[in-house]
Amino acid sequence: MSTIRRTWKINGKTVAVRFPAGRRLLDVLREDLGLIGSKESCGEGECGACTVIVNDEPVVSCILPAGQLADGTEILTVEGIEKKRVGRLIQQAFIEVGAVQCGFCIPGMVVSSYALLCKNPKPSTKAIREGLAGNLCRCTGYTKIIAAVKLAASRIPAAKRT
Amino acid sequence: MTKRTSKPVRLIGKGMPRVDADGKVRGTTRYLNDIDYKGIWHGVVVRSPVPRGILRAIVPGPAFAGDNLVLATAKDIPGENVVHMHDRTMPLLAEIGGEIRYRGEPVAVVAAATPEQAAAAARDVRIEVDELPPLLTLDEAVAIFKSAPGKLDTMKEQTIVKGDLAQGFTAADDVVEAEYWAGHQEQLYLENQGLVVFPQKDGSILSEGSIQCPYFPVHELNDPLKLPPEKIRVRQTPIGGAFGGKEDYPTMLTGYAALPALKSGKPVKITYERNEDILFTPKRHPVWVRFKTGFKKDGTLTAIECDYILDGGAYLTISDVVMYRGILHCALAYRCDNVVIRGKVARTNSFPCGAFRGFGAPQAIWGIESHMDAIAARLGKTPHEYRLQVHARPGDVTPTGQTLSDENGSTACLKLALKRSDFARKLRQASRGKLRKGQKKFVGVGLSFFAHGSAFTGDGEAKFKAKGRVELARLEDGKPGINIRVSSTEMGQGVHTIFTQIAADALSLDAARIRFPMADTGLVPNSGPTVASRTTMVVGNVVYRAALDLKNQIESFAALRFFKGAPAELRGSRLLSKGARPVSFETAAKAMLAEIGSASGFFEFLLPADIRWDQATFKGDSYPGYSWSANVAEIEIDPLTCELEVKRVTAIVDIGRVINPVTATGQVEGGLTQALGYAVMEKIGTGKNGLYDAARLQTYIIPTALDVPEYDVKFVEYPYSFAPPGAKGLGELPMDGLAPAIANAIEAAIGRRLRQIPLTPEAIFAALHPAQGGTP
Ligand code: FES
Ligand code: FES
Repeated sequence: MSTIRRTWKINGKTVAVRFPAGRRLLDVLREDLGLIGSKESCGEGECGACTVIVNDEPVVSCILPAGQLADGTEILTVEGIEKKRVGRLIQQAFIEVGAVQCGFCIPGMVVSSYALLCKNPKPSTKAIREGLAGNLCRCTGYTKIIAAVKLAASRIPAAKRT
Repeated sequence: MTKRTSKPVRLIGKGMPRVDADGKVRGTTRYLNDIDYKGIWHGVVVRSPVPRGILRAIVPGPAFAGDNLVLATAKDIPGENVVHMHDRTMPLLAEIGGEIRYRGEPVAVVAAATPEQAAAAARDVRIEVDELPPLLTLDEAVAIFKSAPGKLDTMKEQTIVKGDLAQGFTAADDVVEAEYWAGHQEQLYLENQGLVVFPQKDGSILSEGSIQCPYFPVHELNDPLKLPPEKIRVRQTPIGGAFGGKEDYPTMLTGYAALPALKSGKPVKITYERNEDILFTPKRHPVWVRFKTGFKKDGTLTAIECDYILDGGAYLTISDVVMYRGILHCALAYRCDNVVIRGKVARTNSFPCGAFRGFGAPQAIWGIESHMDAIAARLGKTPHEYRLQVHARPGDVTPTGQTLSDENGSTACLKLALKRSDFARKLRQASRGKLRKGQKKFVGVGLSFFAHGSAFTGDGEAKFKAKGRVELARLEDGKPGINIRVSSTEMGQGVHTIFTQIAADALSLDAARIRFPMADTGLVPNSGPTVASRTTMVVGNVVYRAALDLKNQIESFAALRFFKGAPAELRGSRLLSKGARPVSFETAAKAMLAEIGSASGFFEFLLPADIRWDQATFKGDSYPGYSWSANVAEIEIDPLTCELEVKRVTAIVDIGRVINPVTATGQVEGGLTQALGYAVMEKIGTGKNGLYDAARLQTYIIPTALDVPEYDVKFVEYPYSFAPPGAKGLGELPMDGLAPAIANAIEAAIGRRLRQIPLTPEAIFAALHPAQGGTP
């Protein structure tokens, strides 16, 4: 099998990776780079536990062949999000409102929430529900997660969004 | 006492943030598959390709020629080939010459150095079976029961009798009889099943993984593995959801992994992918329940007769207890002097069903709560007025003869739910199958009312005697603190947080000095499994008492060491003694650890001496305490697509003392959402080939953020005073009553009653258009 080499910017750092063709982005992140914050639950793009941000768009990394990402691609995982101001606000809000239970969906939820708030810093409830519709949670019933995103949004200063 | 009067902070009743949230939002919490185990092998279970037959041969192919590979079959089982469970009938692996009883029944386990090699080898095992005709579904079993009850193959039966049923029907002015069906449900924890078994030098094993009840494998695998309990050690990794799904099954999984581990001497990890997890782990039991009820013109219930049959699958495993909980909840919430409830666990050639939040009760409550609306309709009463008239309240006697104490908030739940949801008004405005002026959708509102028994059934807790320890220890920062040592597992429900609150209040100590390490049977006494809505009520009480015991010891030590024998009190993280300078907890605890070495408080759970329970007749006090709830569902149905939208749900809940209102509300919202999925969308059954007919998240649909209604959750507190801090069970209650509330709302919206869940648009369409093949 042919080996692919790429240089990406992951969580703000330039990283050179090598992987066999066909390897999923999720495996490169988790197994090759030790970024275990992204989770695998369904492995077929249905649950969002593996969500990461690729060039400002949330994607499910379990069905994305890593080779499709060109050199210079910017990838943000949950590990990088806490270094962002809005990311930290989201994480704090999740803790404060009690939006976390078993936690398995939470990294994906945090990543999707971040992607949403970057695009739409003052989302309506409907927009939040839509923004999180690709992330399944079996524990919380989503109510507190939606409340957490609202709370985080309310704390983003109008001037410095993202 | 000192003059200091400021009160120490109390945490019970406060929404203290979760102690485990930080790692979870940052992605640093290490679940099983995030742990980098070096040098482990990977196991794959080889399964029967048919649902029933005689196993003739297991033939390994060429893939087994290489090294670093092992195949374990029943021949490799060190002891007797049986997993204890409740009736000691299920083999760990099927035997040559023995009967295969379900599709996917484990026949062998392959382990190899890489997952790919193990999977390839597993595919290279040929299983030869002489097929026999299977009985696959509950429908078939019920058909047999109806035509020739004696021919139904049951694994367990139990009857509850109160009063004189015949007399009850004689006294009745009218009778309503109906059947209700409920299908399978998948737990769908987001983290799939998995664990690693490490063989130890002394022949013992250590099993580590996503395990809800660490003491189960310790006591269920002694015969097959020929290991005494002390040679099976089990510890929990952080659990990504369980809901009962990781209660009974990890015992099997530990057994499967242990065989190649013991044979090869290598640690063996088995972890399922989603597809395998859905296909080959236990589900909620499908249930058929029939109610025949007699009542007087004024509504008084004079007779309740009920048959409750659940599909246990191919082996009993734990289904007897699920059936018990089911029948105990069939007629629990209403006054009636004459009751007969007959429960049966039917055997089918399908995957054995297991534990799922609610444990038989949601199916029972689905039936009775639909049925109560049907009776009210026959009487010409509204469903809420009828429930207000006949619901059980303190002083009433349950079907098993238990008198409800005044620690039951049944009436309060019902009344508050009606008030907060404005039920009566909304019911008057329900469409009843006719769109009113300006309406584009049918609207309806429905009610359900129910109790859930907290803790083990009957005298289970009295016999079990849950044990727990609270110990003084040096924490990771080198300073003294407290470790809570109980076998309760954190699965997301919040036990690590609320037990920290309970211990902090009992000790009057800063919660920051308290730790609750993951359960490890090598280190914690057996406080019982984390099931049955028992943890906060029973084990919470154990933690509370053990913490008080430790507090006494610390105070006695401090009195002698610092206060010349004068009494001391640990209060607000300081030791206080009248007229003396306070001593910090840190100083006192350091001195205690230095001088005594260790200290711990201990408690063993007791039940009141007058608790009565007869397991043979099912008479007596069926549960130590009852939690109550009333649910109101408000819905809309599109007349063209028959799409149903649940707009708003009111849930009023009595769980006694609420330890943490934030985590408790989260439990209710999460449970209601699982109940929503159960009620309207989650559909899975045993297909003709013996496999579940939905095997992926593309086909098994659970609620998303777009599906959840607005929730109005409120607590009314009727504490269980026998076991401070006074909590009753919460975990299962929110799963119990939403399905019938929605079915009742559908009836109000379209004027038709649906008697099978899930209540899909197809079923609603069929009910609205009986001429096109549906039944009204
Ligand atoms: S694991 Fe990627 S979407 Fe489920
Ligand atoms: S918190 Fe458990 S799946 Fe979301």
